[in-house]
Amino acid sequence: MSKKLGPRKRSRRAASKGATKATGRGYLSVMKSGKKSAAERTKAVSAVSPATADDSELASLMAVLTDKTAPIRVRLAALQSLGAARFASPAFASNQGDYIAALRKVVDDPDHELRQRVLGILAREKDGYAQNRLLEGLKNKDKALLPPEKALQLLGYDVHANAYPVAREIVQNPPNQQAKREALRLLAADAASAPMFEKILQDKNESSEIRQIGAAALHALKPDSLQAHARAIVMDPSESDDIKQTCLTALTQFGPPQIGEDKTLMDRVDQLSTRGSAKVQDSARELRAKYKR
Amino acid sequence: MNVELQINNSVNANARFITWAPSPCRVRVTNPTGAAGPTVTVQLTGLSTAGGGAIMLRKSTTGAFSPSVTLQVPTNGSSVAFFVAGKFGKASVSSGDVKLEAKVGTAIVGSVPLMVRIRKNATKLTTAERDRFIAAFAQLNNQGLGRFQDFRDMHRTQASLNQAHGAAGFLAWHRAYLLDLERELQAIDSAVALHYWRFDQAAPSLFSLDFLGTSDQVGTVSFSPSNPLRFWVIDGIPGINRRPLFNPTQAPGGLRTEAQTLAIGSTYSQFRTMEGDPHGLAHTSFGGSIQTPSTAPKDPLFFLLHCNVDRLWAKWQRQNRRFDPAVAASYQGGVNPLGHNLNDSMWPWNGATTPPRPPIAPGGTLAPSPCTAAPGPQPLVRSCLDFQGSVAAAARMGFDYDDTPLA
Repeated sequence: MSKKLGPRKRSRRAASKGATKATGRGYLSVMKSGKKSAAERTKAVSAVSPATADDSELASLMAVLTDKTAPIRVRLAALQSLGAARFASPAFASNQGDYIAALRKVVDDPDHELRQRVLGILAREKDGYAQNRLLEGLKNKDKALLPPEKALQLLGYDVHANAYPVAREIVQNPPNQQAKREALRLLAADAASAPMFEKILQDKNESSEIRQIGAAALHALKPDSLQAHARAIVMDPSESDDIKQTCLTALTQFGPPQIGEDKTLMDRVDQLSTRGSAKVQDSARELRAKYKR
Repeated sequence: MNVELQINNSVNANARFITWAPSPCRVRVTNPTGAAGPTVTVQLTGLSTAGGGAIMLRKSTTGAFSPSVTLQVPTNGSSVAFFVAGKFGKASVSSGDVKLEAKVGTAIVGSVPLMVRIRKNATKLTTAERDRFIAAFAQLNNQGLGRFQDFRDMHRTQASLNQAHGAAGFLAWHRAYLLDLERELQAIDSAVALHYWRFDQAAPSLFSLDFLGTSDQVGTVSFSPSNPLRFWVIDGIPGINRRPLFNPTQAPGGLRTEAQTLAIGSTYSQFRTMEGDPHGLAHTSFGGSIQTPSTAPKDPLFFLLHCNVDRLWAKWQRQNRRFDPAVAASYQGGVNPLGHNLNDSMWPWNGATTPPRPPIAPGGTLAPSPCTAAPGPQPLVRSCLDFQGSVAAAARMGFDYDDTPLA
């Protein structure tokens, strides 16, 4: 094996020659060695082929991930390799328990990026421990592992009703606009929130971004209501271009076929297609092209 | 005089879509007025609009293609076969931008609009192609209900992922999965093909407000007000979570390039390791839904990523002549898990729900196509290899890639 090749290339060359896994395993000790540079260790991590990663390779990657003395870039590389092996390695299933345990070990890590990635994976795996820690952090800032907007987003992977009260509270008293947006996204899974989204969509004092979340949530919860409100907004000359365009898009893409028979609306669309801003004109023309007879 | 032109041996207007692989066609006289004898000489020619697709013709299953063919067609209404294929490098940009015209002498006696419908690099679509593609996707999403929910559920639980990942059938299963989805998109808009994200190249136009959206620091994706994907809903939650762990104006780092992927090896067992790199690493170059197998289909990018994986397989197949299931190196022999052997049927399209198959089979059989009967409603693994019908014409699956010519 040529000394000039990097670990990943060496690994590929070995694979192409049909070499067994018993040969050339030095990369496993390199990735774990505190005496090697971060670059050497990262290269050693990338020498693991995710599709053929076996028990000892997966264990080594988990050891690197949970080693708080290892440079963060090496740990992040190990996490990425584990994620790729999660897709492809036949050995992964029997290591799933250890994987989750390793991830849980680092949810309190001082590195924000690592915490965020690990909690994201756990949330997508519907891990109850991570969900509880995220919820706890929303209720008590001192225990927060991530900013509220990120915690809310991650809780959205497996929405439980016990997250709704805190999400409603954040909608009422948002620490920032992103947290409000993420709380609203989470509440879109709650049918009881439909009236709130109707109110938000109609509220001209809300930002376009929040009103657009309202429109998307209504599309899921109460599509007929979205269509009715979208029509009203398109008819309203005092509405902003952004929200008008969003509503034209809703009518064009998801409206009932009989929209073309709504003369009042189509007259308004005709007007917008020649007199609105350039973007509104485009959206109006699109609606017109689809429905005008 | 009039003739009827049957594309893909069908009079159905939705069958007037072709790829690089030859489509079987027929012509017959429907109105013999003016005919002097038992046959009439019909010249068939492909006519392209500026910037549109281009077609080629031939009289039989073999032989060279040419821009036009001349056929002797009986005036008694019997049909005569011929074949039409898209001219490589000349894909259509819209339905009907190329037509097949039939002439007797100088008189036009028949004409049908066609589309050379090809899967393309998503960064190279026209604005109209892009908009139709995302509109069809948004409509298929249908508030996260219906058929899209089936696609989401096919790739969700560990039992379902075992049917698709970590074993030999990975590529075949996803080929069927993408085709099923593409046919559903085409049921919404027949001019749409599934397109691919070439993850070894920069794709800034893909990660833009007007296409698959841009991500903020939280990883929530934003769209322009006119982008219908802003109404994307899945599992009850509106929007998409996707956080690139690379600069989205560049390609993700650390993945095998196309050239490296095609050089993995000439046997399927070697090539299949691409499930880890570049496939797995392409997924994990993001945070968000696409990063984890059970949530990946929540993001429409997932389907473009996998379309590229399938394209790489198609290119590798062409490079190494690996279309024939009877050739050992075309697939992985030995005993594979159920669903991953060459002659196994694939879940969920087979409806099998007895362990080790998952307990439910979402979505029913694979969507049919008016253009081809393959791979059938309950495809086998082996049905997904000869996608262009280069070994057996009837195996043609009805899709092709902009950079992968006919084998």
